[in-house]
Formats: sequence, structure tokens, C-alpha cells
Amino acid sequence: MLSLDLKNISVSYPGLSAPVLDIPSLSIAAGSRVAVTGASGSGKSTLINIVTGLERVRTGSIRWDKTDIVPLSERSRDRWRGTHVGLVMQDFHLFPGLSALDNILLPARLSRAVQSGDRDRAMMLLNAVGLSRAEQKIETMSRGEMQRVAIARALLRKPGVLVADEPTASLDSDSGDAVARLLIDLSVSNDSTLIVVSHDPRLTGRLDRCITLVAGRVSSDVLHREKAA
Amino acid sequence: MTRFILADLRRLWAGSLVIVLLIAFATALGVAVTLQERALRLGSARAADKFDLVIGAPGSETQLLLSAVFLQPSPLPLMPGDVLSKLSADPRVSWAAPVGFGDSFSGYPIVGTSSVLAGTLSALTEGQVFSRAGEAVIGAAVKLPLGYEVKPTHGLAELGGETHTELAYRITGRMAPTGTSWDRAILVPIQSVWSLHGMGAHEHGEEEHAQDGAHQGEHAEGAAPGHDDGDDHEHAHIDPAAPLDEAWTAASPGLPAILVKPKTIADAYKLRQEYRGNGTLAVFPGEVLTNLYATLGDAKRVLSAVAIGAQVLVAAAVLLVTVIHIGQRRRQIGALRAFGAPQTAVLLIVWLELFLLVAVGILLGFAIGYGAARILSGLFSGESGVLLPVGFAREDLASALAITLFAAGLALVPALLAYRQSPAAALRA
Repeated sequence: MLSLDLKNISVSYPGLSAPVLDIPSLSIAAGSRVAVTGASGSGKSTLINIVTGLERVRTGSIRWDKTDIVPLSERSRDRWRGTHVGLVMQDFHLFPGLSALDNILLPARLSRAVQSGDRDRAMMLLNAVGLSRAEQKIETMSRGEMQRVAIARALLRKPGVLVADEPTASLDSDSGDAVARLLIDLSVSNDSTLIVVSHDPRLTGRLDRCITLVAGRVSSDVLHREKAA
Repeated sequence: MTRFILADLRRLWAGSLVIVLLIAFATALGVAVTLQERALRLGSARAADKFDLVIGAPGSETQLLLSAVFLQPSPLPLMPGDVLSKLSADPRVSWAAPVGFGDSFSGYPIVGTSSVLAGTLSALTEGQVFSRAGEAVIGAAVKLPLGYEVKPTHGLAELGGETHTELAYRITGRMAPTGTSWDRAILVPIQSVWSLHGMGAHEHGEEEHAQDGAHQGEHAEGAAPGHDDGDDHEHAHIDPAAPLDEAWTAASPGLPAILVKPKTIADAYKLRQEYRGNGTLAVFPGEVLTNLYATLGDAKRVLSAVAIGAQVLVAAAVLLVTVIHIGQRRRQIGALRAFGAPQTAVLLIVWLELFLLVAVGILLGFAIGYGAARILSGLFSGESGVLLPVGFAREDLASALAITLFAAGLALVPALLAYRQSPAAALRA
């Protein structure tokens, strides 16, 4: 599991008078489960993009344990993200035409990082998210099942941090509930720090800490309960 | 990665199929034009190769070649009969054979000639060369049995030619295939052709010959389709058992063409020079063909330009489709990157997907082009008897490689577009 330490982060876009994200300092302890909330346009997605290296910042530092990803090249950030970050998104981003198992293994395969036990681990993760048909084509699954496959995919390479962007927003309440529970349980069992962007109180209420953004700044940072790092 | 690409292509099979077919047909067009032109050039050159020198009356060299070598039915002017006797007696000539046209049977041209030509053009696979007025030798592609009686039709039957009743030729021999138009010919003694058309040597007395200008003019349409109703030539009965008379004299009737086999190359040039002018025209078939190819080359250039134009249009269309397609796949590409796929993997996926489609299209195009050229050549050979050899040459490999390389370069455009996309921006799209 990884800890995060943000310093002097400011993201501006041409034509906008104020920065969309302005965080002088933010730390997230390794192993903690953090919710990031805020209104639309408050900078939540930008925060996720920069901490995962999807978007580049020119100033400040984004330190995951000892690695500052700000000076890394695009290729190095891709490689770092593939190794250390598990991503779960609102739209799943699974690839039709491939089975559930192939979807889970795809990122590792494309990065040429498949290890000998990965197939077994993928099967185990499928079991863990409550799916039994590994060869089922992804397009024949329900949305709840798809998000479960996405969670299994995110955890394949034992990432130090699991980042989920509105993971329950497009699911019905039962599926959303199940996905929320899985995210928390599996991040604990896989020793991953969990950062979740969500409006869903069923999910955010279960997490240790809730950071609220307003206009790109941290407006509140509440610890729900103590959690050992 | 392969599985991902195949799954992607399967998912987008309809669009992929359209791209493959577009490329296949554009390629096939170019391939067919090239192969067909080459086959025509090779085939006609081989067909003309058997004839060293052709002598006819002054007129079109091309027409003389088309009629005498490729047996195309069309009117040829006649030259005086004494040319044949002069040539036969010439020490530089190995053999000289008259050819006379005008009749046909079931679409096969009946060519009046001498037994020398019938014997030397190709070895006989069965039977023997004609030795009487009513006998005939057939080319390898004439589908008639030995012993069959051929009743000649003046001109072409489908154009209303009248059947000669005075004589029926009995087939006595069949030649081996030559790959020339003569494979479809029925060779008969020229004296019978003359007799059938009222031009028998014996009917043309010296005094008659002088005033025969009008008659010859009429027969200047020796190969004219159809029968001239105003033609008043005598249709006397001809004895099919009459022996061959191949002693050519100055009194021999007029001829549309004489095929000459000179003894040496030097003789060939001398003869050609000597027989150009003074009422005759001597040509080397190869030379006439070269001129014809120059014209054909122009036509090929036009066709090639059309084919290249079509290929450029298809390339532009494919590029447009793929660039739009990449735009639509931005999110998918962004997601691949977000999950850690390196830029090079994304580049390779997009490039491979497109290149695979283009390569299959090109391969299919070569197959379709080859097939089309084979079919066209088959049709042409069936009609003319000239064998058109359709085949790929080393330069085709070069052009296939060039097209493939070009396609590989073209496929890089959308691949680079995908490569340069920021994953965050792509995911927001």
C-alpha cells in the first residue's frame, strides 16, 4: 500500500481566471480509505487525473511513498500507473468481444507484465467479486457484473492504491451497494490504499476520511474514524 | 494483443469488410490492367513469332498483320498473283505460302493456303496434310472430328453469309496447338478457295487478266463478311478429288497476303526492302506489333492512371474512415492508456488493425485481379485462339511491396493520432 503526499499543486487551463485545482498540501496515509466529494466542476476528476499521472502538472510534487511522479516522462508515468494504480471508473471501460477473464488480464498483457500466476489470480479475483463464468463475453453481462469485472481488473497487479471514480453512479442501488462493499473489502484484503470519488453516501459513509473540494480547493477534510495506517 | 485486435475486428466486422473490399477492388483494378496488358503483349508476340515476313498489297500494315497473322476477318486489298511465283522461285526464300480468306465454318475461319504451311506451322497430331482440293487440315482448337465434311460459308454465317454448295472439305488432319489464331483455323488448299470464288487459275487467261481489275476490286473484299449479291462469279462444280496444283505462276489469281520464311535474317531484311513498293507491302510482324504496343502502351497508361486514381480515392476514403474511427474510439484508447498500456502498445494496436485490413485487401485484390485477367484472357483466347499467358512477374512483387509499404505508412497516420492522445483528455471525450 502507498501513501500520498501532495505539495503545491496548482492546475490552470488557459482562459480560466482561477485554477481548477489548487492544493498547497495534502497527505493520505498508506492503507487509508478516502472519499473525495464535491459538486460538479469542483476539481475531483482533475485531482484523480493528476494523482494517477493521467494528467501532468508542471509544478509542485506528487509523492507516492518515495516516488515523485511530477518529473516522470509520459512513458514512465504509464509504467508506474500500470504497476501501482488500480483504476475503477464510472463507465467500466471494459472491452467488448473479450471474455471477463481476458478483460482482467488485458492491461497486464498490453504492458507485457503478465506473470505466471496472473491467470490464477484473475480467477481468484473473479470469485472474490462473486462471478463464476470467466469465459462469459463482457457485452452479455449486467452493469453491476461489469463493474465487478472492472474491480477485479484493477486489483490484478496488486496495486498499492485503488482509485475509483464514481464507481456506483451508473448502477442500481443493490448493485451499487454490492460494489461499494467489494471495493472496501478487497482494498483491505489486497493491502491497497483506497481513494474514491463519489457522491454516493452509502459508499462515502463507509470510508475513513472524507475530503470535500469546492472550486478546486479543499474545503473540508473529515476523519470518520481512526484507522491505523 | 492479437486477441484484442481480433475481437475488435470481429466487433467491427461490417466496417472492416467494407474497407477490405474497397481496397481489394482498387488493387484488383490495377493488377488486372497490368496483367492483361502484359498477357496481350506476350500472347500476341508469341503468336506472331511464327511468321517472319508477311507480304501483302499496299495498305495498312496493322490490318495486314491482323488479317494474315491473327486471322481477323476484314477486307484486304489483293496483290497480283505473280508475286507468289516470284517469291517461290527466290533463292533467299525457304518457303512462301499464300493465304486467302473469305470463308468460315461455325465461326472458324477457313484459310486457303499451301500444303507447305499446313505442314510447317505445327506438327500434325493426327491425320495428314491435305493433298486434294477437297481436303482440309484443322487447328488444335477446332472442335471437329477427322473425316468431318466442312461446307464453307462465304463470310460469316451470323452475318448472313451464303453457304457454298459447290464443295465440301473433308478434314484429313489436325495440327498440334500453336497458341496462335491458327489453332482456330481450317486450312484448305488455296486453289479451292480461288475456285469457289470464281478465281481459279485456269479460268483466268492472260488476256482475261488484263481486264480483271474490276473483278479483283470486287474481291478486294476477300474477307468481307457476307456475300456480295452483285458478285457474278461463277460457282462451277469443283472436284474434291482434284490433285493439288501448287505450281504458282504469274497467272495465279490475286492474293491478300503471303507468309514468307526467309533463309537468313539478312535475307529477311533484303526481302522486306525489295517488296516494299511496286504494288506490295512487306512487314515484319514483330515490328508492326511494336508499333501497335506503343499505341497499346498509351491505352495502358490511361487505364493505369484511372486505376491509380481509384486507388488514391480509396486510400483517401480509408484514411478518412479510420481517422473518424479513431475519433470515435478516443475513450477506448484513453482507457487502455489509463490502465497502464504503454503508448507504443496503443500505436501498435491501431496500426496493426488497419494494416491487417489493408494487407488482406491487397492480397485479395491481387487474387481478384489475377482471376479477372485469367477470365478475360480465357474469353479472348476462346474467340481468337491466341493464347494469353497471364502471370505475375518480378516487377509485380515490387509493386505489391510498394503498395504494402505505402499502406503501412498510411496506417501510421491514425496510429500516431492515437499515440499522441492524452489519456485524460481522451477519457473526457
